[in-house]
Amino acid sequence: MLLILGDEHKQHLEYLCSVSLDVVQEFCRLSVEFLMKGTNAKIYNSAAQKLGVEAIIIQKAIEGLMHLFLESSKLLLNEIDFRDSVKAAGFSDELQSELLRCYLENQADIRRIQLDISMGLSHYRDLEWRLDVKLASRSLRHQVEPVVTMKLHVKDSGKEETRLLQTDPVNLVHMTRTLEEALQELNSAHCRRICRNF
Amino acid sequence: MGFYLLTYLLTLANDTDVDYGRGPWIRKLRMDLSEDVIEGLHLAGDSVHIPDQSFLLLLRIVSESIVDRRPADPHLSAKKEFGSVDRGTLKQVYAALGALLLEAAKLDKDVAAVSQVLEDCKFSQERIKQLIAVYQQHKQPLRSVLSKIGSNLPHVVDVDWRLDYYIKNNNLEKVSRPVFLIDLKTRVNASEETETVQIACTQDQLQDLVGKLRDACKGLERVAQL
Repeated sequence: MLLILGDEHKQHLEYLCSVSLDVVQEFCRLSVEFLMKGTNAKIYNSAAQKLGVEAIIIQKAIEGLMHLFLESSKLLLNEIDFRDSVKAAGFSDELQSELLRCYLENQADIRRIQLDISMGLSHYRDLEWRLDVKLASRSLRHQVEPVVTMKLHVKDSGKEETRLLQTDPVNLVHMTRTLEEALQELNSAHCRRICRNF
Repeated sequence: MGFYLLTYLLTLANDTDVDYGRGPWIRKLRMDLSEDVIEGLHLAGDSVHIPDQSFLLLLRIVSESIVDRRPADPHLSAKKEFGSVDRGTLKQVYAALGALLLEAAKLDKDVAAVSQVLEDCKFSQERIKQLIAVYQQHKQPLRSVLSKIGSNLPHVVDVDWRLDYYIKNNNLEKVSRPVFLIDLKTRVNASEETETVQIACTQDQLQDLVGKLRDACKGLERVAQL
Protein backbone atom coordinates (compact mmCIF):
# COMPACT_ATOMS: atom_id res chain seq x y z
CA MET A 1 0.00 0.00 0.00
CA LEU A 2 1.37 3.38 -0.91
CA LEU A 3 0.90 6.61 0.91
CA ILE A 4 0.19 9.30 -1.68
CA LEU A 5 1.52 12.66 -0.53
CA GLY A 6 -0.53 15.69 -1.58
CA ASP A 7 1.13 18.45 -3.60
CA GLU A 8 1.05 20.93 -0.78
CA HIS A 9 2.53 18.34 1.52
CA LYS A 10 5.36 17.66 -0.97
CA GLN A 11 5.99 21.37 -1.25
CA HIS A 12 6.40 21.71 2.51
CA LEU A 13 8.80 18.80 2.62
CA GLU A 14 10.88 20.13 -0.29
CA TYR A 15 12.86 22.29 2.08
CA LEU A 16 14.39 19.16 3.55
CA CYS A 17 16.07 18.39 0.23
CA SER A 18 18.05 21.60 0.46
CA VAL A 19 19.60 21.10 3.91
CA SER A 20 22.31 18.81 5.21
CA LEU A 21 21.60 15.38 6.68
CA ASP A 22 22.15 16.32 10.29
CA VAL A 23 19.63 19.12 9.95
CA VAL A 24 17.17 16.55 8.61
CA GLN A 25 17.99 14.30 11.57
CA GLU A 26 17.32 17.19 13.92
CA PHE A 27 14.00 17.95 12.21
CA CYS A 28 12.97 14.30 12.46
CA ARG A 29 13.78 14.25 16.15
CA LEU A 30 11.84 17.48 16.67
CA SER A 31 8.81 16.24 14.78
CA VAL A 32 8.63 13.08 16.90
CA GLU A 33 9.09 15.12 20.06
CA PHE A 34 6.29 17.46 19.01
CA LEU A 35 4.04 14.46 18.35
CA MET A 36 4.69 13.17 21.84
CA LYS A 37 4.61 16.39 23.80
CA GLY A 38 3.06 19.11 21.66
CA THR A 39 4.59 21.86 19.52
CA ASN A 40 6.86 24.64 20.70
CA ALA A 41 6.84 27.79 18.52
CA LYS A 42 10.10 29.10 20.02
CA ILE A 43 12.01 26.25 18.41
CA TYR A 44 10.80 27.32 14.97
CA ASN A 45 12.10 30.83 15.54
CA SER A 46 15.51 29.79 16.86
CA ALA A 47 15.96 27.25 14.02
CA ALA A 48 14.92 29.90 11.48
CA GLN A 49 17.56 32.27 12.82
CA LYS A 50 20.27 29.59 12.73
CA LEU A 51 19.47 28.47 9.20
CA GLY A 52 18.71 31.87 7.76
CA VAL A 53 15.19 31.20 6.48
CA GLU A 54 11.74 32.26 7.54
CA ALA A 55 10.23 30.55 10.56
CA ILE A 56 7.15 29.56 8.59
CA ILE A 57 9.20 27.38 6.23
CA ILE A 58 10.72 25.50 9.18
CA GLN A 59 7.28 25.11 10.70
CA LYS A 60 5.77 23.71 7.50
CA ALA A 61 8.66 21.31 7.08
CA ILE A 62 8.40 19.92 10.58
CA GLU A 63 4.61 19.74 10.43
CA GLY A 64 4.94 17.95 7.10
CA LEU A 65 7.18 15.37 8.74
CA MET A 66 4.72 14.94 11.60
CA HIS A 67 1.90 14.34 9.14
CA LEU A 68 4.02 11.87 7.18
CA PHE A 69 4.81 9.82 10.28
CA LEU A 70 1.21 9.95 11.52
CA GLU A 71 -0.28 8.71 8.28
CA SER A 72 2.34 5.99 7.89
CA SER A 73 1.77 4.73 11.42
CA LYS A 74 -1.98 4.86 10.91
CA LEU A 75 -1.72 2.58 7.88
CA LEU A 76 1.03 0.50 9.48
CA LEU A 77 3.28 0.87 6.44
CA ASN A 78 6.14 -1.56 6.28
CA GLU A 79 9.68 -0.68 5.16
CA ILE A 80 9.18 -1.19 1.47
CA ASP A 81 5.90 0.70 1.28
CA PHE A 82 7.29 3.60 3.27
CA ARG A 83 10.38 3.85 1.08
CA ASP A 84 8.27 3.72 -2.07
CA SER A 85 5.92 6.42 -0.83
CA VAL A 86 8.78 8.70 0.10
CA LYS A 87 10.59 7.98 -3.16
CA ALA A 88 7.51 9.08 -5.10
CA ALA A 89 7.81 12.43 -3.35
CA GLY A 90 11.24 12.88 -4.88
CA PHE A 91 13.59 12.44 -1.94
CA SER A 92 17.16 11.27 -2.36
CA ASP A 93 18.15 7.81 -1.15
CA GLU A 94 19.99 9.20 1.83
CA LEU A 95 16.96 11.20 2.89
CA GLN A 96 14.74 8.19 2.44
CA SER A 97 16.91 6.06 4.71
CA GLU A 98 16.96 8.73 7.37
CA LEU A 99 13.19 9.13 7.30
CA LEU A 100 12.73 5.37 7.34
CA ARG A 101 15.02 4.98 10.33
CA CYS A 102 13.11 7.60 12.28
CA TYR A 103 9.77 6.09 11.31
CA LEU A 104 10.66 2.57 12.37
CA GLU A 105 12.19 3.68 15.65
CA ASN A 106 9.12 5.59 16.71
CA GLN A 107 6.30 3.72 15.09
CA ALA A 108 5.18 1.91 18.24
CA ASP A 109 5.13 5.12 20.28
CA ILE A 110 3.23 7.05 17.63
CA ARG A 111 0.61 4.30 17.38
CA ARG A 112 0.25 4.31 21.13
CA ILE A 113 -0.49 8.02 21.12
CA GLN A 114 -2.93 7.65 18.26
CA LEU A 115 -4.75 5.00 20.24
CA ASP A 116 -4.81 7.21 23.30
CA ILE A 117 -6.45 10.08 21.48
CA SER A 118 -8.96 7.78 19.81
CA MET A 119 -12.49 7.59 21.06
CA GLY A 120 -12.33 5.22 23.94
CA LEU A 121 -14.56 3.90 26.61
CA SER A 122 -13.72 3.99 30.29
CA HIS A 123 -11.08 1.35 30.59
CA TYR A 124 -10.60 -0.79 33.65
CA ARG A 125 -7.39 -0.13 35.52
CA ASP A 126 -7.60 -1.72 38.93
CA LEU A 127 -9.99 -3.18 41.51
CA GLU A 128 -9.51 -2.95 45.26
CA TRP A 129 -11.83 -4.92 47.48
CA ARG A 130 -12.52 -5.43 51.13
CA LEU A 131 -14.89 -7.46 53.25
CA ASP A 132 -16.96 -5.77 55.94
CA VAL A 133 -19.69 -7.02 58.21
CA LYS A 134 -22.57 -4.66 58.89
CA LEU A 135 -23.36 -4.94 62.58
CA ALA A 136 -25.96 -2.27 63.15
CA SER A 137 -27.54 0.82 61.70
CA ARG A 138 -29.74 3.53 63.12
CA SER A 139 -32.82 1.61 62.01
CA LEU A 140 -31.77 -1.91 62.97
CA ARG A 141 -29.57 -3.37 65.70
CA HIS A 142 -28.05 -6.82 66.05
CA GLN A 143 -27.34 -7.37 62.36
CA VAL A 144 -24.75 -9.64 60.82
CA GLU A 145 -24.64 -8.77 57.15
CA PRO A 146 -21.48 -9.37 55.12
CA VAL A 147 -20.75 -6.66 52.57
CA VAL A 148 -17.99 -6.58 49.98
CA THR A 149 -16.87 -3.03 49.23
CA MET A 150 -15.01 -2.41 45.97
CA LYS A 151 -13.08 0.50 44.56
CA LEU A 152 -13.00 0.35 40.79
CA HIS A 153 -10.30 2.44 39.08
CA VAL A 154 -11.11 3.41 35.49
CA LYS A 155 -9.29 5.53 32.95
CA ASP A 156 -11.18 7.51 30.33
CA SER A 157 -9.01 9.28 27.71
CA GLY A 158 -6.38 10.31 30.20
CA LYS A 159 -8.68 11.08 33.11
CA GLU A 160 -8.66 8.64 35.97
CA GLU A 161 -11.75 8.03 38.05
CA THR A 162 -12.61 5.80 40.92
CA ARG A 163 -16.04 4.37 41.60
CA LEU A 164 -17.09 2.96 44.95
CA LEU A 165 -19.38 -0.02 44.75
CA GLN A 166 -20.58 -2.68 47.11
CA THR A 167 -22.02 -6.11 46.75
CA ASP A 168 -22.94 -9.13 48.85
CA PRO A 169 -21.22 -12.53 48.78
CA VAL A 170 -23.85 -14.11 46.54
CA ASN A 171 -23.56 -11.41 43.89
CA LEU A 172 -19.79 -11.48 44.17
CA VAL A 173 -19.70 -15.16 43.28
CA HIS A 174 -22.22 -14.54 40.48
CA MET A 175 -20.07 -11.70 39.09
CA THR A 176 -16.94 -13.82 39.20
CA ARG A 177 -18.57 -16.75 37.42
CA THR A 178 -20.15 -14.57 34.73
CA LEU A 179 -16.89 -12.81 33.94
CA GLU A 180 -15.00 -16.11 33.86
CA GLU A 181 -17.50 -17.27 31.26
CA ALA A 182 -16.78 -14.12 29.26
CA LEU A 183 -13.05 -14.89 29.28
CA GLN A 184 -13.70 -18.46 28.21
CA GLU A 185 -15.68 -17.22 25.25
CA LEU A 186 -12.54 -15.67 23.78
CA ASN A 187 -11.08 -19.16 23.42
CA SER A 188 -14.07 -20.56 21.58
CA ALA A 189 -13.75 -21.67 17.96
CA HIS A 190 -15.97 -18.87 16.67
CA CYS A 191 -13.94 -16.07 18.22
CA ARG A 192 -10.64 -17.60 17.22
CA ARG A 193 -11.80 -17.82 13.62
CA ILE A 194 -12.80 -14.15 13.51
CA CYS A 195 -9.65 -12.95 15.25
CA ARG A 196 -7.46 -14.92 12.87
CA ASN A 197 -9.08 -13.41 9.80
CA PHE A 198 -8.44 -9.82 10.70
CA MET B 1 -9.86 -1.39 89.40
CA GLY B 2 -11.23 0.91 86.68
CA PHE B 3 -11.75 -2.08 84.41
CA TYR B 4 -14.01 -3.84 86.90
CA LEU B 5 -16.01 -0.67 87.48
CA LEU B 6 -16.53 -0.35 83.71
CA THR B 7 -17.76 -3.93 83.30
CA TYR B 8 -20.09 -3.53 86.28
CA LEU B 9 -21.62 -0.40 84.76
CA LEU B 10 -21.99 -2.14 81.40
CA THR B 11 -23.89 -5.04 82.97
CA LEU B 12 -26.22 -2.56 84.65
CA ALA B 13 -26.95 -0.88 81.32
CA ASN B 14 -27.63 -4.16 79.54
CA ASP B 15 -29.42 -5.83 82.38
CA THR B 16 -32.94 -6.28 81.13
CA ASP B 17 -34.09 -7.71 84.45
CA VAL B 18 -33.67 -4.42 86.27
CA ASP B 19 -37.09 -3.12 87.24
CA TYR B 20 -37.30 0.55 86.47
CA GLY B 21 -40.58 0.91 88.29
CA ARG B 22 -43.66 2.80 87.18
CA GLY B 23 -44.58 6.46 86.76
CA PRO B 24 -42.02 8.86 85.31
CA TRP B 25 -39.67 5.96 84.70
CA ILE B 26 -42.06 4.53 82.19
CA ARG B 27 -40.29 6.65 79.57
CA LYS B 28 -37.03 4.95 80.41
CA LEU B 29 -38.41 1.56 79.44
CA ARG B 30 -35.82 -0.42 77.63
CA MET B 31 -37.37 0.49 74.34
CA ASP B 32 -37.36 4.25 74.59
CA LEU B 33 -40.96 4.75 73.47
CA SER B 34 -42.34 8.27 73.46
CA GLU B 35 -45.16 9.49 75.70
CA ASP B 36 -47.63 9.56 72.82
CA VAL B 37 -46.89 5.96 72.02
CA ILE B 38 -47.26 4.88 75.63
CA GLU B 39 -50.56 6.72 75.82
CA GLY B 40 -51.69 5.03 72.60
CA LEU B 41 -50.72 1.65 74.04
CA HIS B 42 -52.77 2.31 77.14
CA LEU B 43 -55.74 3.03 74.88
CA ALA B 44 -55.01 -0.08 72.82
CA GLY B 45 -55.11 -2.28 75.86
CA ASP B 46 -58.33 -0.80 77.11
CA SER B 47 -61.33 -2.79 75.95
CA VAL B 48 -63.63 0.19 76.54
CA HIS B 49 -61.91 2.13 73.78
CA ILE B 50 -60.97 -0.77 71.53
CA PRO B 51 -63.26 -3.78 71.67
CA ASP B 52 -61.72 -7.25 71.30
CA GLN B 53 -62.69 -7.83 67.67
CA SER B 54 -61.37 -4.46 66.60
CA PHE B 55 -58.09 -5.08 68.43
CA LEU B 56 -57.34 -8.29 66.55
CA LEU B 57 -58.17 -6.79 63.18
CA LEU B 58 -56.15 -3.67 63.91
CA LEU B 59 -53.10 -5.73 64.89
CA ARG B 60 -53.28 -7.65 61.67
CA ILE B 61 -53.73 -4.53 59.52
CA VAL B 62 -50.85 -2.68 61.19
CA SER B 63 -48.36 -5.52 60.87
CA GLU B 64 -49.29 -6.39 57.31
CA SER B 65 -49.18 -2.83 56.06
CA ILE B 66 -45.66 -2.34 57.46
CA VAL B 67 -44.33 -5.60 56.12
CA ASP B 68 -45.96 -5.26 52.70
CA ARG B 69 -44.99 -1.60 52.61
CA ARG B 70 -48.52 -0.56 51.75
CA PRO B 71 -49.75 2.90 52.68
CA ALA B 72 -52.43 2.97 55.36
CA ASP B 73 -56.01 2.67 54.19
CA PRO B 74 -57.55 6.16 54.60
CA HIS B 75 -61.02 4.66 54.98
CA LEU B 76 -60.05 2.38 57.81
CA SER B 77 -62.41 4.00 60.30
CA ALA B 78 -65.32 3.34 57.93
CA LYS B 79 -64.95 -0.43 58.40
CA LYS B 80 -67.78 -1.90 60.41
CA GLU B 81 -65.43 -3.44 63.00
CA PHE B 82 -64.27 0.02 63.95
CA GLY B 83 -67.75 1.50 64.07
CA SER B 84 -67.70 2.14 67.79
CA VAL B 85 -64.18 3.49 67.89
CA ASP B 86 -63.55 7.20 67.98
CA ARG B 87 -61.45 8.25 64.94
CA GLY B 88 -58.83 10.14 66.91
CA THR B 89 -58.34 7.17 69.20
CA LEU B 90 -58.09 4.80 66.25
CA LYS B 91 -55.33 6.92 64.70
CA GLN B 92 -53.34 7.05 67.92
CA VAL B 93 -53.71 3.34 68.61
CA TYR B 94 -52.70 2.46 65.03
CA ALA B 95 -49.57 4.58 65.38
CA ALA B 96 -48.74 3.20 68.83
CA LEU B 97 -49.03 -0.43 67.81
CA GLY B 98 -46.89 0.21 64.74
CA ALA B 99 -44.26 2.02 66.78
CA LEU B 100 -44.11 -0.77 69.35
CA LEU B 101 -43.72 -3.53 66.78
CA LEU B 102 -41.02 -1.64 64.88
CA GLU B 103 -39.07 -0.58 67.94
CA ALA B 104 -39.12 -4.11 69.36
CA ALA B 105 -37.98 -5.59 66.04
CA LYS B 106 -35.29 -2.94 65.64
CA LEU B 107 -33.76 -3.66 69.03
CA ASP B 108 -34.22 -7.42 68.63
CA LYS B 109 -36.27 -7.58 71.82
CA ASP B 110 -37.43 -10.96 73.06
CA VAL B 111 -40.95 -11.92 74.10
CA ALA B 112 -40.32 -11.19 77.77
CA ALA B 113 -39.30 -7.58 77.13
CA VAL B 114 -42.31 -6.88 74.94
CA SER B 115 -44.66 -8.55 77.45
CA GLN B 116 -43.21 -6.37 80.18
CA VAL B 117 -44.03 -3.22 78.25
CA LEU B 118 -47.56 -4.42 77.57
CA GLU B 119 -48.12 -5.32 81.21
CA ASP B 120 -46.97 -1.87 82.21
CA CYS B 121 -49.57 -0.45 79.83
CA LYS B 122 -52.27 -2.49 81.48
CA PHE B 123 -52.93 -4.98 78.70
CA SER B 124 -54.99 -8.03 79.56
CA GLN B 125 -53.22 -11.39 79.36
CA GLU B 126 -55.34 -12.33 76.38
CA ARG B 127 -54.31 -9.24 74.44
CA ILE B 128 -50.69 -9.71 75.41
CA LYS B 129 -50.80 -13.20 73.96
CA GLN B 130 -52.38 -11.96 70.75
CA LEU B 131 -49.86 -9.18 70.27
CA ILE B 132 -46.90 -11.44 71.06
CA ALA B 133 -48.18 -13.94 68.51
CA VAL B 134 -48.31 -11.24 65.81
CA TYR B 135 -44.87 -9.95 66.89
CA GLN B 136 -43.26 -13.34 66.62
CA GLN B 137 -44.88 -14.04 63.30
CA HIS B 138 -43.74 -10.77 61.78
CA LYS B 139 -40.45 -10.13 63.57
CA GLN B 140 -38.19 -11.36 60.77
CA PRO B 141 -40.10 -9.54 58.00
CA LEU B 142 -40.07 -6.37 60.11
CA ARG B 143 -36.30 -6.65 60.58
CA SER B 144 -35.94 -7.24 56.88
CA VAL B 145 -37.85 -4.04 56.07
CA LEU B 146 -35.77 -2.07 58.59
CA SER B 147 -32.50 -3.40 57.23
CA LYS B 148 -33.23 -1.81 53.87
CA ILE B 149 -33.46 1.69 55.37
CA GLY B 150 -30.20 3.56 55.41
CA SER B 151 -27.66 4.77 52.95
CA ASN B 152 -25.56 2.41 50.95
CA LEU B 153 -23.05 2.56 48.18
CA PRO B 154 -24.44 1.46 44.82
CA HIS B 155 -25.01 -2.25 45.25
CA VAL B 156 -24.04 -4.48 42.34
CA VAL B 157 -26.83 -6.90 41.52
CA ASP B 158 -26.00 -8.12 38.03
CA VAL B 159 -23.30 -8.20 35.38
CA ASP B 160 -23.74 -8.09 31.61
CA TRP B 161 -20.90 -8.52 29.19
CA ARG B 162 -20.26 -8.23 25.50
CA LEU B 163 -17.27 -9.20 23.40
CA ASP B 164 -16.38 -6.95 20.45
CA TYR B 165 -13.57 -7.11 17.96
CA TYR B 166 -11.99 -3.67 17.57
CA ILE B 167 -10.96 -3.39 13.91
CA LYS B 168 -10.09 0.24 13.28
CA ASN B 169 -10.95 3.86 14.10
CA ASN B 170 -10.62 7.22 12.36
CA ASN B 171 -7.09 7.75 13.64
CA LEU B 172 -5.70 4.31 13.29
CA GLU B 173 -6.10 1.40 10.92
CA LYS B 174 -5.55 -2.20 11.99
CA VAL B 175 -6.23 -1.94 15.69
CA SER B 176 -7.39 -5.56 15.56
CA ARG B 177 -7.97 -6.68 19.05
CA PRO B 178 -10.84 -8.03 21.17
CA VAL B 179 -12.53 -5.69 23.64
CA PHE B 180 -14.93 -6.66 26.40
CA LEU B 181 -17.71 -4.28 27.42
CA ILE B 182 -18.82 -4.99 30.98
CA ASP B 183 -22.05 -3.56 32.40
CA LEU B 184 -22.37 -3.60 36.17
CA LYS B 185 -25.99 -3.13 37.17
CA THR B 186 -26.25 -1.39 40.53
CA ARG B 187 -29.13 -0.62 42.81
CA VAL B 188 -28.99 2.40 45.09
CA ASN B 189 -30.67 2.36 48.50
CA ALA B 190 -33.26 -0.35 48.01
CA SER B 191 -35.12 1.46 45.25
CA GLU B 192 -36.28 -0.57 42.30
CA GLU B 193 -34.27 1.34 39.69
CA THR B 194 -30.90 0.16 38.57
CA GLU B 195 -28.02 2.26 37.30
CA THR B 196 -25.34 0.91 35.06
CA VAL B 197 -21.59 1.31 35.38
CA GLN B 198 -19.96 0.51 32.06
CA ILE B 199 -16.29 -0.34 31.62
CA ALA B 200 -14.25 -1.65 28.74
CA CYS B 201 -11.46 -4.22 29.14
CA THR B 202 -8.87 -5.82 26.98
CA GLN B 203 -8.24 -9.51 27.51
CA ASP B 204 -5.39 -8.84 29.93
CA GLN B 205 -7.38 -6.34 31.93
CA LEU B 206 -10.32 -8.72 32.23
CA GLN B 207 -7.99 -11.48 33.38
CA ASP B 208 -6.65 -9.13 36.03
CA LEU B 209 -10.19 -8.23 37.12
CA VAL B 210 -11.32 -11.84 37.28
CA GLY B 211 -8.18 -12.74 39.23
CA LYS B 212 -8.95 -10.08 41.82
CA LEU B 213 -12.59 -11.18 42.09
CA ARG B 214 -11.45 -14.78 42.60
CA ASP B 215 -9.17 -13.60 45.41
CA ALA B 216 -12.14 -11.84 47.01
CA CYS B 217 -14.23 -15.03 46.77
CA LYS B 218 -11.44 -17.09 48.33
CA GLY B 219 -11.10 -14.53 51.12
CA LEU B 220 -14.82 -14.86 51.77
CA GLU B 221 -14.65 -18.65 51.87
CA ARG B 222 -11.82 -18.57 54.38
CA VAL B 223 -13.75 -16.23 56.64
CA ALA B 224 -16.87 -18.35 56.31
CA GLN B 225 -14.94 -21.37 57.51
CA LEU B 226 -13.76 -19.71 60.70
